Amino acid sequence: MRICYDWRLSRLIDDEGLIIDEIYWTSDVTVPNLVRRLLLLQKGRMSPEARILYERFDDVEVCPEGHLDDINWPSYNENQQKIFDEATVKMTKMKIAESSGDLDKRLDMLVSSANEIRSAWTTSESRCVEWIGLFLTEINLDTNRKEIINSIVKSESISSAANLLETTQPLFSPSEVEWESLKKHCQSVVDLTQRMKQHEDAIRILTLDYMPTLSSLIGPLSASKLLVLAGSRERLARMPSGSLQVLGAHAAMAAHRKGASPPKHGSILFSLPQVGKSPRWVRGKVARFIAGKASIAVRIDHFGGIPWGDKEISKINNDIEKIISKFPRPPIRK
Amino acid sequence: MKRRIISLGWGARKEGRNIWTRNAVKGVSVRKERRKRDGRNEWRLWDPTKSKIAASLLRTKLDPARIIPQPGNDCLYLGSSTGGTVSHIHDCVCGSGNHHRGKIIAIDISSRMMRELVKLSEIRPGIVPVLADARDIAQISPFVNKKVDWMHQDLSISDQAKTFVKTAEIFLKNEGIGLLSLKAASERAADGSLEIQYEKAEDILKKSNLDIIEKIDLKGLEEQHVLFYCKMK
Repeated sequence: MRICYDWRLSRLIDDEGLIIDEIYWTSDVTVPNLVRRLLLLQKGRMSPEARILYERFDDVEVCPEGHLDDINWPSYNENQQKIFDEATVKMTKMKIAESSGDLDKRLDMLVSSANEIRSAWTTSESRCVEWIGLFLTEINLDTNRKEIINSIVKSESISSAANLLETTQPLFSPSEVEWESLKKHCQSVVDLTQRMKQHEDAIRILTLDYMPTLSSLIGPLSASKLLVLAGSRERLARMPSGSLQVLGAHAAMAAHRKGASPPKHGSILFSLPQVGKSPRWVRGKVARFIAGKASIAVRIDHFGGIPWGDKEISKINNDIEKIISKFPRPPIRK
Repeated sequence: MKRRIISLGWGARKEGRNIWTRNAVKGVSVRKERRKRDGRNEWRLWDPTKSKIAASLLRTKLDPARIIPQPGNDCLYLGSSTGGTVSHIHDCVCGSGNHHRGKIIAIDISSRMMRELVKLSEIRPGIVPVLADARDIAQISPFVNKKVDWMHQDLSISDQAKTFVKTAEIFLKNEGIGLLSLKAASERAADGSLEIQYEKAEDILKKSNLDIIEKIDLKGLEEQHVLFYCKMK
């Protein structure tokens, strides 16, 4: 005997296909109640009517998709079709609205927009510095880049900017419209700097709360970037440490699949000073060690473990130092 | 010179290299596609570079009219995205105001895509938008009250053929049409070249209760894609 059900009714059917018992949902059939019911069914739970039948009879098999095989299963009548159509749209809208509560998605937006701001900032900042350098030919463009842009924003002309920067006056000055464009472009770089700072502060606050252990191990900004690359905290937590180690190394992994040597680390782990500043020949070892620890850290955060304190973090840092000091010289090439 | 019009069943026709569906909502394009009047009817251009089903209608060596569903059919669409293709299927299955009483259960996992699909379902009665993971049968079954006549799977996941077989065996009627758009780029790269991946998928389909009617290569319209046109035994 088996129980087949959908949102409207539940039937107990014997092995010959005879209906032994059936219960219809009759009381309080409204759109909000149907939404609640569909949500339960979607989670794999039984309908209340199916549960009654299940408790009423012993030795019965529950078939959530059994109604599809029953040729006598009733079709929707006009009212049922109407209420079902309304409920599905309402339920889908509700689930869409709920997705804004997903911290993974919110962090994704924040990190992605911070990356876009940084990318725009890098391009505009270089352009502004080169543009100013065209007029102020004696100025050193590599040091005090920030001051160069700030002095343009504060000045009323290229000559006053030259005075502020304590450099020689330009031979040719930009026209008035040219100067306005240059000044506005410099102003946009200053604005972008502030926006970038604001974004990164927000990322720090959210990530420290969402992934405290991983944040204390590799820093909140790197932790959030790993999360975005993985897709969600859950996916990061379920990821093997070998995959976490190469997150952000898409091109190198693609090359590896065609026969190149495997990447030692992804871009995020490389940005950590313990990896990036280490000698070339230990970077892989350190990256592998940090990836292993990061993998444990994110599992602690996701599955509700006790977050690591300073003691655990400093022990890991000491272990990294030991790895680095164990290999002071590059290996001899065979 | 006037192009020859070939009917692909109710609400769909082919003119030269173009496919048109009879617009169920006159005066409205879904993704800015061309529309044209023909007497009282309005037709919408079905872009084969944006829809794998439209591409398969152009590439098939058999009768294209058999690939698309009939008016009044129950359809299941896994991976509906914003509903571009769903809207053309709706033109054929439901028609204006759903006078054919067809149904398209459109599943997608992305809330961003579903936002657009919900808007579409509000102006096109007969579309049931469901935000769910198409790989999970339990998440789909509450919305399907009888087996469907036609289903299409267009998911960017690995194990597309296995998922298709599992879903079709539960939801597709005997003699029902099942279309699998196989995207090779979504399968595991370690599994081998495109051809090997297509062969693997074909083997999985052959071992199931589905008959492969045609393997349609969509090269030129959709790169690294084939569409398996199957029928339930």
